[in-house]
Amino acid sequence: MVSVKSADYKAPGGKLVRVRLKEENGVIDSVRISGDFFLVPEEDLSKLEKILEEVPLREAEVRLAIDRFFSATRAQGLGVSANDFVNALLSAKEEAVDA
Amino acid sequence: MKETWRLVDLEYRDDPFMNLAVEEAIPRAVGEGKAPCTVRFWHNSNTIVLGCFQSAELEVNFEACKETGTQVVRRFTGGGAVYHDSGNLNYAISLRKGHPLVPESDLQSVFLKLSEGAVQGLRSLGMKAEFQPINDVQVDGKKVSGAAGSIRWGTVFHHGCILVASDLAILGKVLNVPKVKLADKHVASVQKRVTTVREELNRDVTTREVRDAMVKGIETCYSVSLEEGVLTRDELSVSEELYRSKYSRPEWNLEP
Repeated sequence: MVSVKSADYKAPGGKLVRVRLKEENGVIDSVRISGDFFLVPEEDLSKLEKILEEVPLREAEVRLAIDRFFSATRAQGLGVSANDFVNALLSAKEEAVDA
Repeated sequence: MKETWRLVDLEYRDDPFMNLAVEEAIPRAVGEGKAPCTVRFWHNSNTIVLGCFQSAELEVNFEACKETGTQVVRRFTGGGAVYHDSGNLNYAISLRKGHPLVPESDLQSVFLKLSEGAVQGLRSLGMKAEFQPINDVQVDGKKVSGAAGSIRWGTVFHHGCILVASDLAILGKVLNVPKVKLADKHVASVQKRVTTVREELNRDVTTREVRDAMVKGIETCYSVSLEEGVLTRDELSVSEELYRSKYSRPEWNLEP
């Protein structure tokens, strides 16, 4: 079963993280993360999206993947933390986001 | 002896794509040691400038852009979408990485330190401007300037825009502001949480006046002198190449 999910997650005291993902049988097939946060180096966001492919859409697995991304790349977020990315992904819902 | 920085006023008012190409060529040259630390001032006519991580589809009201003749371009730095018009003053500061003004290489200290020139400039005009983390300059709780930046190519780069006399009604139309964002800030619309220099000072202020105040503000708070200069031939050719390969392309500006 394939489903398309999305979320607009506002990091507390920080920026907006917008997630659009495709999920197949509980596993992330592809994900696009956008928003008004800062991440240096900028190219690393697509690495994060890539790392999340084939990760089960569950807290433990998503958190592990994102924590690994930050420790492996030494990417620096501002207005967004590893935890915010986790929360944004986990809050993705099937119904269209009220824009 | 005071350090001298280059002051560049090169702009392409009706070509936001070339403006953003120049915006990238300068920090590249500064990091490579091919150009001195530089401050640039410039304008765009009606343009939305998207942050590099933003989705054009989600952020832009293309219908309203068509009606108002607003173009859409993406910058190489993160942060949120901004609306530029001739009443908006853009500035950019490029310092070589490791410059004593910003020894820490985290973006929050860069924004704090390199927003000081704008804060100082606005204060000298009589505004109660204050830096508001993460990347805003506010007057009485309303945003008058936003900044973005990056640390790359061996450069600490900071740029910002100052709403001097911008048309906030168009700004409110062309940008889709997500409800979740406004709810968090407890205000009902983007127009209510931003202001302009003209509105705050209640007089006809030009972007040139703000630019001059900022030049003095920068010279004072960083103890440097700004000397008018131009781009090197190398910077111009890099700008043209970036224009061709990146900033003039919908793939960069609008996708995914």
